Amino acid sequence: MKNRLRVLRAEREWSQADLAERLEVSRQSVNAIETGKYDPSLPLAFRLARLFETTIEGIFTEEC
Amino acid sequence: MFGCTTNNPAVRRYLVRFAVVIGFYMLFLVGTVWAFVHAHPTGWLAYLLAVMPALPIIASLVVVGIYLKEEKDELVRAMFVQSLLWAIGATLASTTVWGFLENFVHVPHMDLFLVFPMFCAFAGIFSPMVNARYK
Repeated sequence: MKNRLRVLRAEREWSQADLAERLEVSRQSVNAIETGKYDPSLPLAFRLARLFETTIEGIFTEEC
Repeated sequence: MFGCTTNNPAVRRYLVRFAVVIGFYMLFLVGTVWAFVHAHPTGWLAYLLAVMPALPIIASLVVVGIYLKEEKDELVRAMFVQSLLWAIGATLASTTVWGFLENFVHVPHMDLFLVFPMFCAFAGIFSPMVNARYK
């Protein structure tokens, strides 16, 4: 899956560590999601969407 | 096995529990060996003493289960499970091959109690490899 996490993070001037702390996950998790190496579960995707005040589709798009 | 995640409270609890279980394993193993060398137990007591060192090993599997339940970071949990699956596969493959070798050609006999340490060693080998996939 492609995602806009890096952009959303940059807009808020959050580091990966900042986002990890807000999500209560490791920085490695944030990096793996951001680089597309790991697709988060639905609950974590919802937490991300809530945090960035958007929808899951506003963060993640299907890779065709 | 956990790299930089040791500030994770679930990992800390897991490591403490695992250390306790290993402590009991060593205690029970030494106790059992001592009993069989010096006291020569027989009957049900011999059976009981013989399985004593296995109990903490079984408990370590429960400790793993508790950790998986407590770990909040789903990627860390997924990496841990993947390492265990690779270790299970490698252990099953190598012990099966060794078993057939023992049956048909002359290779040294492998004691079954070595299977679990072998599994742990494989998990230790595969863990950084799985971890590297998500770096």
